[in-house]
Parts: sequence; C-alpha cells; structure tokens
Amino acid sequence: MDFITQSLVIGLTEQAPLVLAAIGFALIYRLTGLINVAYAETVTLGAYFGMWINTTFELNFFVTLIPTAILSGLLSVATYLLIFRPAKRRNVGMLEMIIISFGLSVFLRHALQFVFGYPVRFFDVPPPDPIDVLGVGVNTFRLIALVSVLLLAGVLYLFIQRTKYGLQARALATDENLAQASGIRPLTVTSIIWFVAGIAGGLAGAFYGVGSAVAPLLGWRQFLFILLVVLVGGTWGLGGVIAVGIAAGIALTAMALTFGQVLYAQAALIIAFMVLLKWRGKRLLEGAKV
Amino acid sequence: MTSLDWIDAFLIAGLFDLVMIAGLALLLHLQLGLTRIANFGIVGFWGLGMYAFGILYVRVDWPFGDPWSFIVCAALATLIAGVAGLVIGWLISDLDTDGVLLETLGFATLVFIFATTEKGLTGGSLGMGGLRFPFDVGTTKQNEFVWLIVITVVVIGIFLYARQVHRSPYGRLLIATGSNEALARSLGKSTYRTKLVVFATTSALMGLLGALFGVMVRFLNINNLGIDLTIAVMVGLILGGSARVWGAVVGTVIAIGLFDIVVQAYIPLPREWYTQSIPVLREAIFGATLVVVLLVRPLGILGDMQRDKLMRKIHGR
Repeated sequence: MDFITQSLVIGLTEQAPLVLAAIGFALIYRLTGLINVAYAETVTLGAYFGMWINTTFELNFFVTLIPTAILSGLLSVATYLLIFRPAKRRNVGMLEMIIISFGLSVFLRHALQFVFGYPVRFFDVPPPDPIDVLGVGVNTFRLIALVSVLLLAGVLYLFIQRTKYGLQARALATDENLAQASGIRPLTVTSIIWFVAGIAGGLAGAFYGVGSAVAPLLGWRQFLFILLVVLVGGTWGLGGVIAVGIAAGIALTAMALTFGQVLYAQAALIIAFMVLLKWRGKRLLEGAKV
Repeated sequence: MTSLDWIDAFLIAGLFDLVMIAGLALLLHLQLGLTRIANFGIVGFWGLGMYAFGILYVRVDWPFGDPWSFIVCAALATLIAGVAGLVIGWLISDLDTDGVLLETLGFATLVFIFATTEKGLTGGSLGMGGLRFPFDVGTTKQNEFVWLIVITVVVIGIFLYARQVHRSPYGRLLIATGSNEALARSLGKSTYRTKLVVFATTSALMGLLGALFGVMVRFLNINNLGIDLTIAVMVGLILGGSARVWGAVVGTVIAIGLFDIVVQAYIPLPREWYTQSIPVLREAIFGATLVVVLLVRPLGILGDMQRDKLMRKIHGR
C-alpha cells in the first residue's frame, strides 16, 4: 500500500511537467504533422525566461509564470514563422523537416549559453516546505506544479475541443484545402497553435527549472520521454497523451522505487515504449492525424 | 620508425577524429542518403562497439596475446553492434521517420544509461582504462600515427564499399526502397529485408569505428556518448551532400577540419576560449548549418546524385 501511494504521489507531482510538455508537443505534432525536436529548447528557454525574470525583477515565482508563458509562446511562433513556415513553403520533406528541427534544437541549446552564461542557474525562491500528502512528504512547488498542470491541461483540452480556433485548427489538420476554402486563415490558426504549444512547453520548463536547476540540457533530457508519450499516447488523441503521460510518470517512479536507481527505471520505460511503438507501428501511420 | 617531427601530436588526434567522422558519415550516407532511414542514434552503435570492445579486451582473459586478442575483440564488437542494428532495424522497419527518431534516439540513450550504470563492466562515470595499442612501434606518438593509418585504411575501405553500392543493383534497390517503398515492394523486392540488411551492416561498421576509437584514446569515457558525435556526423554528410558518396568526405573535411583542426590549432585565439566558448560555438554553428543547408540547398554542396546526370546523358533528357 505504501509503495502504491508513494508511486502515485511522487509520480504525479514530480512528472507533472512531463504531461504539460507532452501536450504542447502533441498540439504541434497532431495539428501540423510536424515532429519538432526544437520543442526541447522551448522547454529549456521557458526555464531560462522564468529564472531570468525571477532573479532580475525579484518577482514571486508564480507571478513570473505569466511573462514566461508569453515569451515562450512568442519564441515558439518565431521558430514557426522563421524556420518551419519557410521550410514548408519550399516543400521540404518530413525527414528533412525533422533534421531541420534537430539542427534548430542544437543551435538554440548552445546559442542560449552565450545569452544566459555557461554555469547552471537557479530560481531565487524561498526553500519549499514539505507538505504531507497521504503520508508522503511533497515539496510545495511540485504540488502547485501538479495543480497548475492539471488546470492548464484542462484549459488546453477545452481550447482544442470547444473553441472556434480549436475547431479551425482541427479542420486545418484534417483537410487544409477544404479548411482554406471555408474561410479559415491557416497562418493565424497555425500561429495560435504554435503560441499555445509554446506556452505549454515554457511553463513545463519553468516547473522543471524551479524543481531542480536551470541548465542548457534541461529540455533535451526530457525530449525522449516527451516523444515516447506523444507517439504512443497520441494515437488516442490529446486525452491519450495526457493519460499516457500520467501513466509514464507513475511507472517511472514506481520502477525507480523498486530498482533503487532512476536510470534503470528510465531504461525500462524506454525499452517498453520502443516495443510498444513497434507493436502499434502500422496504426501510427494512419492514426497520427486528428 | 622515423621521428615524425613534421606532424604534431594534436594534428594526429585531430586527423583521427576527422577520418573517423568521415567514415561514420559514409555509413550514414548509405542509411539516410540512399535508404532514407534517419539514424539519430549513430553514437549508440559507435558507443556500443567501443564499450563492447573495451569490455572484451580488458575484462576477458584471452589465451592469446596481441594482435590476436585485438582482432578477436574488434570482430566481436563489430558483430555486437551489427546485432543491435538488426534489432533496431527490425523495430523501425515499418515505422515513419518520427518512429525512427524515437527508436534510434532511444537506443542511443539506452547505451548511455547502461554504460553509466554497469560500473563493474564499464567503469561508469569514472571511465575505463586498460586499453592499449595491439602493437608497439616506439613512442606514443608513433603508435598513434600508425593507428591513424589503420583507421584511414578502414575508412577508405568503407568509401570504396559505399561507392560500389552506388554502382550496383543493390544500390538501386536501396534507392528504390528509400524513394518509393510501396513501388519497390510492388515490383517484388523485399524492402523489409533490404532495410534490415543495410541497417545491420552499416551499424556493425559504426561499431568497428567505435572500437578503433577506443584503442586510440585508450580510456573510455561516457562523456563521449552524448549527442555531439551524431550531430558532427550529420553535419558532415548533409553539408557535403547526403545523396553523394563524396558528400560525406567533403562535408566532414570542411566542418570538422575547420573547427577541430584549423580553429583549434592554427588560429591564435585567447586560451580561455578553448574551454567553453569554442566548443559551444562549434555546436551552435553545426546546428545552424543543418537548418540553413536543408532550407537553402537541401542536397548539400555537391548536389544531387550523379546517377541522374548519367541517366540524362544516356536517355538524352
């Protein structure tokens, strides 16, 4: 019983940013069909933006989340307008598109060090008080991260499923020509998707950053897990991404507790998802779009 | 052996890296350029070869000495990397590029994880020593120079193999599989087996290059298993031209030669830059190169396959 509650509580609170990051990545993947490796750096830069605003203006962490979200969203739109949109207009193939995003990821990850410096940076926040949840001590930031992530996930889900732009985005993903003929402006809608995805990634980064440290590899370390969650969960839609993200977080914690070694837990999760993807392979090709 | 005064030790190490990366880029050319399998886990196959060699060479008590123990261990390391290539090749055989990205990146991460955790075998983050050259011709510098010649011969072999593939029916099958898999299959070609074979053989050779690197550095370090090598190989191939055999060579000479040899050794820059600024700048420029080349000139410096030119010449189109 102890093991189950521990896995649930720690898994949910520690891996909450993974779910948020996966939602943002899935938005771009499912609505525009692009695997954006540079999304890892949206996450990283979210952490850097938050840390920079937090330490420069001495703002409360939760206040910094608003400008962090906006800056990350703008960064995300900028990468779309400057790189991915021109690439699409040049009819770059899917394989080349992934390598372009990989190159952009590498570029951003290293270029940001010339702006923010090489050393690892930290948020300036008061030391967290552990709160007792079902007998497990949980850091307040992680608990609030979980609540925020659940709220944001809900908002994003409703945004895609219920709002005008959400509907237009899905229409665009299903049939671009028909959507255009029906008066949907692809540039506006696609920019909104990238902006929202950037918000999700940036906030995930800020939560990762405040939970530990802000470093250039922050987002890249999570990228493989984001990709696993989105490729495997994505076949069941956005809800599937959220469910698989939560399940992966809990499984990771449960295995880390069992093996006594986080790396073994990660390895087991990677192997499981690699095999799962093979098993679902055929359906992935057909079901990748909305 | 001569004194080798004309070449400094730094240049030998730099040239070794350059030749090795060119070899990896040639193998990536067969995977990515012809068969269009985007292998983002190059460092995984290379690293598996390196560690498999190291573990077999240092931890196993062979009944025979060098050079036989080297040859046996290197052959086994190549085989192990090849088997890994076969498994990953099977996993990716019916996946799109997004699935290939996940499987190959996942594989490279697994190699890194197990190199870190299995301390008893690999030395973990402390690294693993005990490797040595399978011969002794004098000073360390002379041994390293001979080893540079050895890897150059191996990479020339890979180059000739890649060129031969281009000219053979097997190469045409690879191109057909890469450009239109459904069509190739409808013509009765087993694209599944084709992809599996090409991926396994090229991965095996990546492992061999890893084993050769292990001997050169004689100390295996998990820091070598990061993404940097994959980036360097990809930049080398894409910059030169992923559709051409020479592309891998030209691109690697420009990218790696410029950064790891010319900038590091021959341009007088402040000493403190070399510890952080230059390596970070190198990666940033490599990343930007991938983006710019694929946006502006997707087929790299050398452009499209000569095959097209040849066909036009023959058919007058």
